Amino acid sequence: MARFEAAPESTALPASEEHVVIFKLADEYYALDIQAVQEIVRMQTITSIPGADFWVEGITNLRGRVVPVIDLRKRCGVPASEYTPETRIVVVSSSTGMVGLIVDAVSEVMRIPGDQVEPPSAIVAGPENGYLRGVAKLEDRLVSLVDLEGVLPSSADDYGSFSRAA
Amino acid sequence: MASTKGTPLQFDLDDEDLKLFLEEAEEQIELLDQSLVQLEGEPDPALVQRIFRAAHTLKGSSATIGHKKMASLTHAMETVLDAVRQGRRAPTSDVVDALLAGLDALRVLANEVVTRVDSGIETERLEADLMAVLEGDGPAVALPEAPDVPVYQVPAGALECCWDDIEQGHGIYFVDVAIASDCQLPSIRCYQVLQEMESIGRLAACWPDRDVIEAGGGEYRMAGLLVTRQSEDQVAAALKAVSDVAAVRLRQVPPAEATAPIEGFRDEPQQPAAARQETGEARDEAPAEAQRGGNGRKASQSVRIDVERLDGLMNLVGELVIDRTRLQQVREQLSSVLRDASLSELMDNFEETTSHLARVTDELQEQIMRSRMLPVRSVLSRLPRLVRDVAVKCGKKVDLVTAGEETELDRSVIEEISDPLVHILRNAVDHGIESPEERRAAGKPETGTISVTAWNQETYIYLAVRDDGRGIDTAALRRKVVEKGLMTREAAEAATDDQVVQWIFMPGLSTAKQITDVSGRGVGMDIVRTNIERLNGQITVSSVQGKGTEVIIQLPLTLATTKALMVSANGTVYAIPLVSVTEALADHEADIHTVGGRKTLRLRHRLLPMIDLAAALGDTRPRMLPTDGYFVVAARHGDRQAAFIVDRLLGEQDVVVKSLGDMLGTRKGLTGATILGDGTLGLIVDIASLVTEQAAVAVPA
Repeated sequence: MARFEAAPESTALPASEEHVVIFKLADEYYALDIQAVQEIVRMQTITSIPGADFWVEGITNLRGRVVPVIDLRKRCGVPASEYTPETRIVVVSSSTGMVGLIVDAVSEVMRIPGDQVEPPSAIVAGPENGYLRGVAKLEDRLVSLVDLEGVLPSSADDYGSFSRAA
Repeated sequence: MASTKGTPLQFDLDDEDLKLFLEEAEEQIELLDQSLVQLEGEPDPALVQRIFRAAHTLKGSSATIGHKKMASLTHAMETVLDAVRQGRRAPTSDVVDALLAGLDALRVLANEVVTRVDSGIETERLEADLMAVLEGDGPAVALPEAPDVPVYQVPAGALECCWDDIEQGHGIYFVDVAIASDCQLPSIRCYQVLQEMESIGRLAACWPDRDVIEAGGGEYRMAGLLVTRQSEDQVAAALKAVSDVAAVRLRQVPPAEATAPIEGFRDEPQQPAAARQETGEARDEAPAEAQRGGNGRKASQSVRIDVERLDGLMNLVGELVIDRTRLQQVREQLSSVLRDASLSELMDNFEETTSHLARVTDELQEQIMRSRMLPVRSVLSRLPRLVRDVAVKCGKKVDLVTAGEETELDRSVIEEISDPLVHILRNAVDHGIESPEERRAAGKPETGTISVTAWNQETYIYLAVRDDGRGIDTAALRRKVVEKGLMTREAAEAATDDQVVQWIFMPGLSTAKQITDVSGRGVGMDIVRTNIERLNGQITVSSVQGKGTEVIIQLPLTLATTKALMVSANGTVYAIPLVSVTEALADHEADIHTVGGRKTLRLRHRLLPMIDLAAALGDTRPRMLPTDGYFVVAARHGDRQAAFIVDRLLGEQDVVVKSLGDMLGTRKGLTGATILGDGTLGLIVDIASLVTEQAAVAVPA
C-alpha cells in the first residue's frame, strides 16, 4: 500500500518547492508535507483513553484501523475551542504509525516556492522551534511549516511538552 | 582439533533455496524427533524405513548446499540406521542415544545455514560415537527374514472359463499387491483389490483364496492371476487407486505357462503409502484409531502458506465481521423508520442480503480460523523424548500417556504453549513422580504414569497434565512461604490446603529439596502462569497428597478474537475478557459491606475489594454512578479477585484485539482496543494488572 509510506525525513528545504496541505489553528496558518498526509476526515467519534496526556484526544476507528488522535490546539498550547463543522482530522503517517491531528479547518493544497521559506528562528523565537521547520512568507499571509516528528511524541515515554502557555 | 567456532560459513544457496532447505530440514528433523524414541525396542520395519529415509533426505539436501559437517553427520546416522534396517544391529538404547545426540547436533547445524557462523559443534566425536555403536556387540535383531521367492500353485481348471478371452487376445497377468503396512484394516483393502480386479477382467485364481478374502481374511499381501484386455499399466493404475495399496507388481504370463506353478516377486522392504509420507502425518498404532482405516481415508492435500498471509486474511475478515454487524444495525434502524408499504419489498430484499452476508462472513471467518489451526499433536509429539530424558536423569521410571492429539488450536497458541507444557512435565517427572524405591514402599507400581490430555470445550482448549506421584506437599509449602517471608505464619496456617496448592505459582518459590538442572530454581510455575495468562488463558492445579497432581490449562482457541463481557463506565465502553470474569451482578443483588472505609463485596466466602473500573484505569473525568443502580463484575487473576464497579452490562461479544499503536504504547490496565458494532471503539481491560495492583488476597469470611 504505497499510500501509507512514511514521509521523507527532510529538514533541509528543497531548493525548488514544497507541496503542502494548509490548515488553520486559531487564526494562524500551518502547513504539513503532503507526502505525510494520508487523508483528511470530518470529526468522528473518538474514544478517550483514561490516563493519557491531556492533548491525546483518544483513539478513533479509521476503516478498521485504530488510530490515536491528538488535539493539535492542546498540543501546541493554543486555547481550546469547540469543534465546528469545519473541524477536521488530518491523518498523517509518522514514525510511530498513523496519527490523527485535530485542526480547526483545512484550507487548501499548494506549492510553496523554496525561496519563500525561512528558518523559524528568523521570525519567531521560542519553544515552537521544536515543531516548526520553517515559515513561508506568502503574499497575503505567513504559513508555518510543521515538523511532524517534532510535534508528535517519539514514543510513549517521551512526553516532552512545549506548551506556549508557559 | 582447534575450535572453529565463530568462523563465517558459506553455503551454495540463494534466499529461496535457503527457505526450501530449512523447511525440508525442519520437517525431517521433526520426523526423526518423533520416531527415534519409538525405535527403541520395537524394530518395526516400516518405522525403521521411515527414519532411514528421513536421514537419507537430510544427507542429500545438506550435501547439495555444501554443508559438509551436516552431510557427514547424517551420513554416519544413515549408516547406523541402515544396519538397523537390515537387521544387523538391534535398536537398543545405546543406538537410540547416539542417534538422538546426532539429531540434537543436526538442529544446530541446520541453524548454521541461517546464522552463517560456525557453531563450533564437534561432529567428529558424534560420528565416532555412532560408528562405535555400530561396531558394538549389540545383538543383531531378527527382522522378519526375507522369505524365498514365493511360488503360487494355480488350481487345476482355474483358467477353464478364461480360454475364450485368452484366444481373443486378452493377456494373462500375475499380479502381486502389497497393502501399506500402516493400514488399519488390510482385509477390507484386499477385498477392494479383489473387486477391482474382477471389474477389470476375469480373476482366474487368487491367493489367498477368494473365499478367504471375502470372509475378511486378507492380510498385507495378496496375489492373483488376472485375465484382461487391459494393458499392464492400466491394471497397475487401477489397482493403485485403491486406498492404502502400497505397491502393485505384475508380469504377463504366456498362456502356455499359465497353468504351471507361478513364481512370485521377491520381497523388498516395503515403503509406506506415498500419500501418507507427504503429509508427514505420524502413524497411529493405537487400536482405537482403527476405525479411521475403514472409511477410505482421503490423503489430505495441502499447500504451504506463509503465516503472514493468513494473518492478513484474518485481519480482513475481522473487518468484514465488523461491517456485517454494522450493516445489521443499520437494517434494524431502517426497518423501524421505513414502515412505508412501498418500501417493504425493498426492505425484505435488503434484509435477505444482509442475513446472507452475515452467514457467509461467519463461514469465511470460521474457515480462515480453521486454516490456521494445527493439531496439538505437534506439541505432544515432542513430549515422549523429553519425559524419557528427564526420567533418565532423575532415575525415575515414567510412562507417558497422551490423548487428544487431534485437538486443534491456532498455530500462534501452539507456538506459545510448548514451553509452559514442557515446564509442567519436567516438574511432574522431577517433583511429582517418586523414585522407584519410594513408590514400591508406598505400594504403588514402580513405574509412574503421567498423562497429557487435550480436549475442546466450547471455544476453549484444555490441556491436562496428571501424574500419579506424591502430590504437592502442602506442609512443606506452608513452611517455605513463611521461611521466605512471603507470608506470615498465621496467614499460611489459616489457608486451606486447596489455597496452599495454588502457591506453587508464587514468584520465587521452589519446593525441590535440591536445585536440579531439570526443574530450575523456582522461577518456574509463576512464569508458566504469566505466559498462559498472556494468552488469555487460565491455569489451575489440584493435588491429593500421595495420589498425584493435576494441572489444567485453559486456552482460547485463537488469539485473534477473544470473548469478552462488554460494560460501560463513565461513558466509555470496555471489554473485559470473559476468561477472567467470575460473576456479574447488579448492586442490589450484591452483598456489599464497608470494611475499613472501603467498599467490599462478599461473594462465596470471599471478600473482594470493590474498585471503580474507570478510576482504576486513570479516568479523571467527573464520575457519577447511574442513579438507578450500578453493576459489579467480579474478576480474577490466579487466586486474586476483585470486584469492579461499572455503570452498565452490555452483553457478551467476540472482540478482535487491536493494538493502541506505538504512539500510545502500553497503557496501564489496557491491552488494546476493539471495534464495536456501531463502528466506535471500546477498550480492552487487562484484568491481571488491575487485580494484582489491588493486591486482593483472599480473606476467609
